[in-house]
Amino acid sequence: MKEKILTLPTPYGGNLELHKNTWGKSGEPLSIVSGLQGDHLNGLFLNSHLTQFLDSIVEGLDPHYTLTGQVQTFPVVNVNAVQSGTRLWPLDGMDMDLAFPGNPEGETAEAIASAILQHTKDSFWGIILTSAPPHYEDAPHIQTHKPDSREKKMCRDLQIETARRQKDSPTQKVNLFHHWQEQEISSVMVSAGSPRTINPQQCEVLFQGILNFMKAEGILKDHRNKKPDNKIKTRIYDPDEEVLVRTSAAGMLLKEVKVGNFLKKGQKIGEVRDIYSGKRLEELAAPEDGLLITLRQYPIVYEKEPIAILLSGKDRWQKIGHVFQSIVKR
Amino acid sequence: METKCVLSIKSPLGPPVEILKHVFPANSNRPRVSFVAGLHGDELEGLYICHKLLRYLKNLEANQPEAIQGEINIYPAVNPQALENSTRLWPFFSIDVNRTFGSRQTDSLAVETSQALLEDLKSSSDTVIDFHSSNLQLLELPQIRIIKDFEKKLLPLAKKCNVDLIWIHPNAEIFASTLGFNLNSAKIPTLVIETGICLRIHPEKGDQIFNGVLNLLNELGTLKLTPEPVKEPHLVQPDQVKMVQAHHSGLFIKQVEAGNFLEEGERIGKLIDPIEGSILKEVVSPCSGLLFTIREHPLAHKGSPLARIAELGVQ
Ligand SMILES: [Zn+2]
Repeated sequence: MKEKILTLPTPYGGNLELHKNTWGKSGEPLSIVSGLQGDHLNGLFLNSHLTQFLDSIVEGLDPHYTLTGQVQTFPVVNVNAVQSGTRLWPLDGMDMDLAFPGNPEGETAEAIASAILQHTKDSFWGIILTSAPPHYEDAPHIQTHKPDSREKKMCRDLQIETARRQKDSPTQKVNLFHHWQEQEISSVMVSAGSPRTINPQQCEVLFQGILNFMKAEGILKDHRNKKPDNKIKTRIYDPDEEVLVRTSAAGMLLKEVKVGNFLKKGQKIGEVRDIYSGKRLEELAAPEDGLLITLRQYPIVYEKEPIAILLSGKDRWQKIGHVFQSIVKR
Repeated sequence: METKCVLSIKSPLGPPVEILKHVFPANSNRPRVSFVAGLHGDELEGLYICHKLLRYLKNLEANQPEAIQGEINIYPAVNPQALENSTRLWPFFSIDVNRTFGSRQTDSLAVETSQALLEDLKSSSDTVIDFHSSNLQLLELPQIRIIKDFEKKLLPLAKKCNVDLIWIHPNAEIFASTLGFNLNSAKIPTLVIETGICLRIHPEKGDQIFNGVLNLLNELGTLKLTPEPVKEPHLVQPDQVKMVQAHHSGLFIKQVEAGNFLEEGERIGKLIDPIEGSILKEVVSPCSGLLFTIREHPLAHKGSPLARIAELGVQ
């Protein structure tokens, strides 16, 4: 059911409206939020896909599933930015995800933030749908901060292969994610793709993940009683397992790999060419084996820019190796 | 004066993006003071003050070098691409650089840049002044805002700066990512001086702060000179600041100027409906005091700030 949760008058007579969709009445609620940034369109697409899916279940059109829990989705948070076709609302230039907890009496961004928090505060689980930062592309993955046992279970139940634990950030305390964590809502972010684009294949990975999660937590019942196929194990990577590949030249980046690829040490990622002469200025290669989780998408690059992030298990394997050796020695 | 490059980044078309600082070497080891302007590329009032400082110090260096007792560093344009485009945010990334300080997530050029600037300031300053203007919406009287936690250290310095107002306010989470907060947390006293509005220069206000800054440099012993007398600022606690917000969306027509002393109930402006032709509200002052913030951008949404008044006792 589509429901209006906030109406704000605009100076020229119209109204800004914030909506949520809800399904089910019993059980622990799951909240799914997308569109914190106006250009994170994969999240909008994924939420609309979920809406279609859940609508068809509650209307009895899907014979395989019954909804046994409660779900609410907030497809568009930064309404003005989506309307403007931009990441931020040009009038305030504010990053919506730096406006939490917000203030119901405050400016537009604060009033929206406050409404979102108010409507999600009683959730048991929370999922934020996001994309890579501007000019980058993410392979589908989960982002967590300091996952407790419930959140580690969320990662396992989503069955998305990769999760990244994020470092502390000086702005985290004004993020929606942080406020959910403060209120002990088990929450994760899931990211896929680039801003300003929709990638249905990447969204499908996340959609299946959310489906897995809803089945595992008893929000959805699958009548087919089919034994699950091989369960995908999620690996949570620590920040020190991330390897950044940076440019030392500036120009045009031509890449030869795709996000989600597993790269071998020395494998070419791409090259930077001089825009005027076309000459190759630099070849960029993987410094070690790893999963390519983030890749520069926009080809014009400055010096010192990270163009790829690899998730390398090397540190952990080394550590495990050391422990193993010391046990053997003893 | 010596010019140093704090950070240089090759750009796609060749010419590097550079953050420069001008160093006036000291004749003694008195406190080193640094000035920063242009962190937000559309805030130009601080650039004007740095311009005045540069001229003054160059002249001093030529004619009276012994007056410079402590090293002075001027970083006149620390967000070069935003300044060239006259935008608050670093245009290539749409990122507010003053929300990236103190980050350990070095996965963007903006964070690389803010880290380099922060480290350079830490290594070469005993006191820092960071100049800002307001955003597109509001005009501010010359003021220094001090987070309560840093009041003890900063208030005596702030009083020397010839500003109209010092506003002590509680900490807020968003400050954790700013230059000022990170320097103060690193025990380098840093004053954030805010004046005017973005995209404009008010020379008379700039001159006022310039005099204040010379006074501060003299008080610290960094300069040895006879400064002009400065004004005593109004010291304002959080509960003395009354904010007037738009109760409805519309266009705000201001009828007073920043710096006016208002009586309770005195007219500040009106909020009009541009489509229907009606007056939505006559906006009045909720208290008597000094009007130190006024909305200049007429477009106001419900909840937008229209004015701030410092409630003052009998003057
Ligand atoms: Zn500023």
